[in-house]
Amino acid sequence: MGLLNNTLPDNKLVGAVDTAVGWGRKSSVWPMTFGIACCAIEMMAVFAATFDLDRFGAGIPRATPRQSDLIIVPGTVNAKMAVRVRRLYDQMAEPRYVIAMGACVCGGGPYVKWGYNTVKGVHKIIPVDIFVPGCPPRPEALMDGILKLREKIGREAVFARRNEANTQMNAKYDAVS
Amino acid sequence: MNEQQLHDKLRATGLGGIGELESSARDPFVVVEASVLLEVMAFLRDDSETAMEMLHNVTAVQRETGFDVVYHLCSYSRHHSLTLKVIVAQPEGEAGDWEPAVPSVASVYPSANWHEREQWDLLGVRFNDHPDFRRIILPEEWIGHPLRKDYVYPSTFGEIPLELDAIPLYERDENDPPKPSEPRPAGTPLTQPPSEYSTRPDAGGRAPAPEKKGES
Ligand code: SF4
Repeated sequence: MGLLNNTLPDNKLVGAVDTAVGWGRKSSVWPMTFGIACCAIEMMAVFAATFDLDRFGAGIPRATPRQSDLIIVPGTVNAKMAVRVRRLYDQMAEPRYVIAMGACVCGGGPYVKWGYNTVKGVHKIIPVDIFVPGCPPRPEALMDGILKLREKIGREAVFARRNEANTQMNAKYDAVS
Repeated sequence: MNEQQLHDKLRATGLGGIGELESSARDPFVVVEASVLLEVMAFLRDDSETAMEMLHNVTAVQRETGFDVVYHLCSYSRHHSLTLKVIVAQPEGEAGDWEPAVPSVASVYPSANWHEREQWDLLGVRFNDHPDFRRIILPEEWIGHPLRKDYVYPSTFGEIPLELDAIPLYERDENDPPKPSEPRPAGTPLTQPPSEYSTRPDAGGRAPAPEKKGES
């Protein structure tokens, strides 16, 4: 959408187009095949038949960061892993979204006091859109996180000139890109 | 064989440096001198009656007087097991980052290879003549050994913040970057104050745990 990106006036017609495009975008959020620790087991359950994330269009875990829109960080991020997480995030194409899954990536979790090499929250490394706490979160909780992310993506302005609300929403992506 | 018979058999080999059997411990152990460790291990493995096929754990304990290195041996075919300990006393006047050294048993039991690397990584115990002696889990550039009692918790690892209240990387002011922590050259004594998590009594850390009842 390069040239038209946020250049059209913010009126009803452009808003309607944005809504349609937003629906398309939010219905095909492709997560990355990526898991670090115990929470990843729960994430796999969400992808599998019982919980079936494909109902929300997010059921195709991509094998490479270049094809994915969403990185779910499920598990303890330690000092060694943080470098890799950051690199994977940098390899993803914009727009990209991050879900922090589990107490560990929301703020250290069980390792908050004694974890000598644990990064106390993945938001220290990459900007996070949705935090899903729990140790591990139930599959329903992760699905709720993905539904919240869908809402967020659907509200984003793609064509319309940015107003106060969506500027705020997009600001943090501009800061890191 | 029970532990007593195993100990008698060890004594009968004529190797010096084999201590008494501590059978009152929950896990009976024999203290062995580091100089005869390889011979004792090779004997226990090769003798048809002891037949210790497996070294299933190597670990270490930090004490106020030094380190204990603990070896857990077991036999699948004979259904018995024995624990060996090598006690390395801390020499007088050595600083907190003193590194004890024992011979590596990886030439007798290949399974010791990774276990010994783990003890080096987490407790800083050196194993001489190890085939591939480096850290196993933490990054190579890591400073210190985290399970030491006087370990100082790092606030960063390179660029990566490790503290709970650290400023996220992408919110930092590029013109005013936080100072990277000073790496400590190998061999220099630990000059930082003991951390608040230290369990050493002189560090004013946590009170010692109450004695458990019914434990020998
Ligand atoms: S939050 Fe709990 S379940 Fe998830 S990675 Fe951390 S320890 Fe494991």
